[in-house]
Amino acid sequence: MSILALSFTLLFVMITMLISVWQKLGLERDIAIGTVRSAVQLLLVGYVLQFIFNMRNPVLIVLILIVMITVASINAAKRGKGLAGVLWKIALAITATELLMMGLLLGFGIIEATPQYIIPISGMTIGNAMVVAGLLLNQMRREVESSRGEIELLLSLGATARQAVQDAMKRSVKASMIPTIDGMKTVGLVQLPGMMTGMIIAGANPVEAVRYQILIVFAFTSSAAVTSIILNLLSYRLWFTKDLQLQPIKEKG
Amino acid sequence: MLPLLQIKQVRKNRDDADKSPLFSNVNAEIAEPEMIALLGVSGQGKSTLLRILASLTRADEGEIAMQGASQHQMDPREWRMKVCYVAQQPVMLGGSIEHNLKTVSLLHRTPYDKKLAERLMGELGLEHLEPGKHAQDLSGGEKQRVSLLRSLMLRPQVLLLDEVTASLDRGSKEKVERALQEWHRKEGTAMIWVTHDLEQAKEVSGTVWFMGEGTLLENSTTNSFFERPATELAQGYIKSPEQKE
Repeated sequence: MSILALSFTLLFVMITMLISVWQKLGLERDIAIGTVRSAVQLLLVGYVLQFIFNMRNPVLIVLILIVMITVASINAAKRGKGLAGVLWKIALAITATELLMMGLLLGFGIIEATPQYIIPISGMTIGNAMVVAGLLLNQMRREVESSRGEIELLLSLGATARQAVQDAMKRSVKASMIPTIDGMKTVGLVQLPGMMTGMIIAGANPVEAVRYQILIVFAFTSSAAVTSIILNLLSYRLWFTKDLQLQPIKEKG
Repeated sequence: MLPLLQIKQVRKNRDDADKSPLFSNVNAEIAEPEMIALLGVSGQGKSTLLRILASLTRADEGEIAMQGASQHQMDPREWRMKVCYVAQQPVMLGGSIEHNLKTVSLLHRTPYDKKLAERLMGELGLEHLEPGKHAQDLSGGEKQRVSLLRSLMLRPQVLLLDEVTASLDRGSKEKVERALQEWHRKEGTAMIWVTHDLEQAKEVSGTVWFMGEGTLLENSTTNSFFERPATELAQGYIKSPEQKE
């Protein structure tokens, strides 16, 4: 795509802006920031990737994965405000997921061990893990709030923290995985996923593109499950004080 | 011999901005297992005190000990198995009545004493209920009794009862009173019973703790409390217990 053609895509931004002004949505500032950020971030990533692909240095690959995990963890940790040390627990859960996914993909020779496979697939896995981690924490907060009576009853009968939140945990893990599983059911029928679309536009054979998409969809499901379970096991104790009482947690977005 | 339960200088602040005390300087001791009625107008923090005793809420100050062992030093689980709180609002866990009654044995991997559960079902006037019935479908009064029974299965040394007969009809209420008195005699369980029913307090308790003016104002035998209350507040309360301060 030429630079001129790329500039024309700003038309879409203008449409959004006009709607915002016309309907008094007050989103102009956010749209402007979003436009600039997405353009700069993506262009930057393009050049970084180009550089890394040429260098083929494993250290650089690891470095970029660390950056991805860090950004994803900080973002997901916003959903866990007020929980001590939640950032590290999220980082650990996402890292474990990424290691497992890459271990399986590379170990079974499903993908080649080159940056152009490892980085985009990791990016998608980590991104999905981030969304799942945020959903889980949000859901867990809601569950702990609404099941307060049940949790305290179990505590009053001498339950451990784990026993007291077991059911709330189960419901939260389930809720955090539902979007991924629903996505799996409708993929291809409702939406053509970005990666596949990109490959097709770039000239790949659609059947080949679909194979990779299947890989991604399956990997997403298990990465959602793994992230959710690990994060839950790491974080359920955070809802309690050291005296095994429920934390007084305020409702937050 | 060390007292069963000791409460020293306990204070709890309100949750609001200025953190004024809900109650403070609460001191009491249970030397021997006895039946205590915890009385006082609404809003004095009777439930909060029970929750603190059960280690479900943190006191802002003070010390609670059981047979000399401090609450802070004991594993909260171990503590709660000895000092068990029964909430005013009964919470039924999903599943059948029997599942609810088995909660304690499931949590602690102990054998389920079916005979005891059946006996108590009868004593509490619940013999008409099918154990397989869904616990959520019970009436309020039935839930309250199932919740009480579920806690009794733990056989705690101190039982903290928060208006556990509040939604019961007269007949069921008397059954619960009798069953708990019987339990106290046989098991030697101490009970602290929050109630607004003065007849009930007279009937079941040997000691009255009366809360007012932000503290535990009176601590005397039930007879002397009702015959010669020491404070004007208590005198007024005995005349019209439901009146707010």
